[in-house]
Amino acid sequence: MKFVKVLVILILVGFALTAFAAAPAGKKAKTIDELVKMYDSSSCKDCHAEIYAEWEKSLHARSIFGPAEVGRTAATLKTTVENGHKDWPYSGVKKPEDMKVEHLMVCASCHLPQLAEAEDSVAQEIMKNVYAFKETDDAAAMKLQSLNINCLVCHQRNAIVHKWVDGYPEKNVVYGFKNGEHPSPDFPKMKQSKIMGESILCGQCHGQGPNFAQDNPTQCATLYGSYNFAYIPEGERETCQECHIKKSKLGHNMQSYRSPEMAKMALDMHVYAEAFQWRDVATTTPAATVIVELKNKAGHAIPDG
Amino acid sequence: MTTKTPDGKIINQQEKIYMPIPQQFGRGDKMGRGPYEKSGLLKDTSLPPLRTVKETFSIPLYKESKKDGKLARTIISNDITVEVELWYLPYGKKDDEGNSQMWQKVTKKLSIAKGGK
Repeated sequence: MKFVKVLVILILVGFALTAFAAAPAGKKAKTIDELVKMYDSSSCKDCHAEIYAEWEKSLHARSIFGPAEVGRTAATLKTTVENGHKDWPYSGVKKPEDMKVEHLMVCASCHLPQLAEAEDSVAQEIMKNVYAFKETDDAAAMKLQSLNINCLVCHQRNAIVHKWVDGYPEKNVVYGFKNGEHPSPDFPKMKQSKIMGESILCGQCHGQGPNFAQDNPTQCATLYGSYNFAYIPEGERETCQECHIKKSKLGHNMQSYRSPEMAKMALDMHVYAEAFQWRDVATTTPAATVIVELKNKAGHAIPDG
Repeated sequence: MTTKTPDGKIINQQEKIYMPIPQQFGRGDKMGRGPYEKSGLLKDTSLPPLRTVKETFSIPLYKESKKDGKLARTIISNDITVEVELWYLPYGKKDDEGNSQMWQKVTKKLSIAKGGK
């Protein structure tokens, strides 16, 4: 009888372990490499080579490191800890090693939203590499560049905003403009995302203002607010995707202020200048007047992000 | 905007900054230093969408002195060059390779007539 009891317990434990293993949605990454693997979109380039090559040139492809060779985003992460978390008396952070996912989400909610599916050890590994990178550690720079906003972030994880209306994103599905089969072993289905061509898709990160869902609200990019409250009232309705993907002809190499193409699209500048001599009775005053006209042609204030 | 004499000497420099000025933690009169502090706006001088912003810059081209008790204004140069540059400075500095970007530059040559009364 005792043997039967032990067997039953073992079987139950075995069942529980099997159930856990069969629920990868609940499994959290323990290392950067595990998180990268969870969001590995490298197989997308087998069929979407051109789009993938475009994306590789974008800042989305280096969302934690920042612009190539400069690494300004990584540098700002360090500043966030040094001048922010360490300085805030109730953050619980006294040194970089204290950084947890919840702390890093101040930045990562947009720069790496999938960090929500990682354990605190990943946040600590990111910070370790952020500090090492500043000491010209190439391996650290490479590690940070492996973290990004890739195909699976926009075409799966963040493809649905109103989950009570449209359902929750499914792990084996890629979301785009159509429903149907998708010839990929990991993602055999394709479903329509109702917001794939809408500005709200981008507005999830290029947001409206401080993220009040967080304990210490902030948001550096407020472009969707400007789009909604300043551009739409002008009577226009073009979407982010129409300008940044289609009209720019940059495709998934979505660029902004660093791109000559986007800078040209965004602003017109006209300069009018004249020199003259003004006279007050006998006193002659030589002077010049320069008038500069700047027309913002973008769908949002400049600058914003 | 920079005004130069024909020999390259800078006689006037003016600038105008366009940006949303973040309020530190959404309170008080301090600008937030980094994105982690940005929770409101103190002021917004950014360029609004679909609008034209017009700036007028006045450039004095004289030196002032007193002659026989009277104010005299002596012209610095009859020929000047005005350079207008539009920069994107994500970190506020021009000498920031890889980050700062010059978007546009317009150069105008101007002259003040010589002689006459």
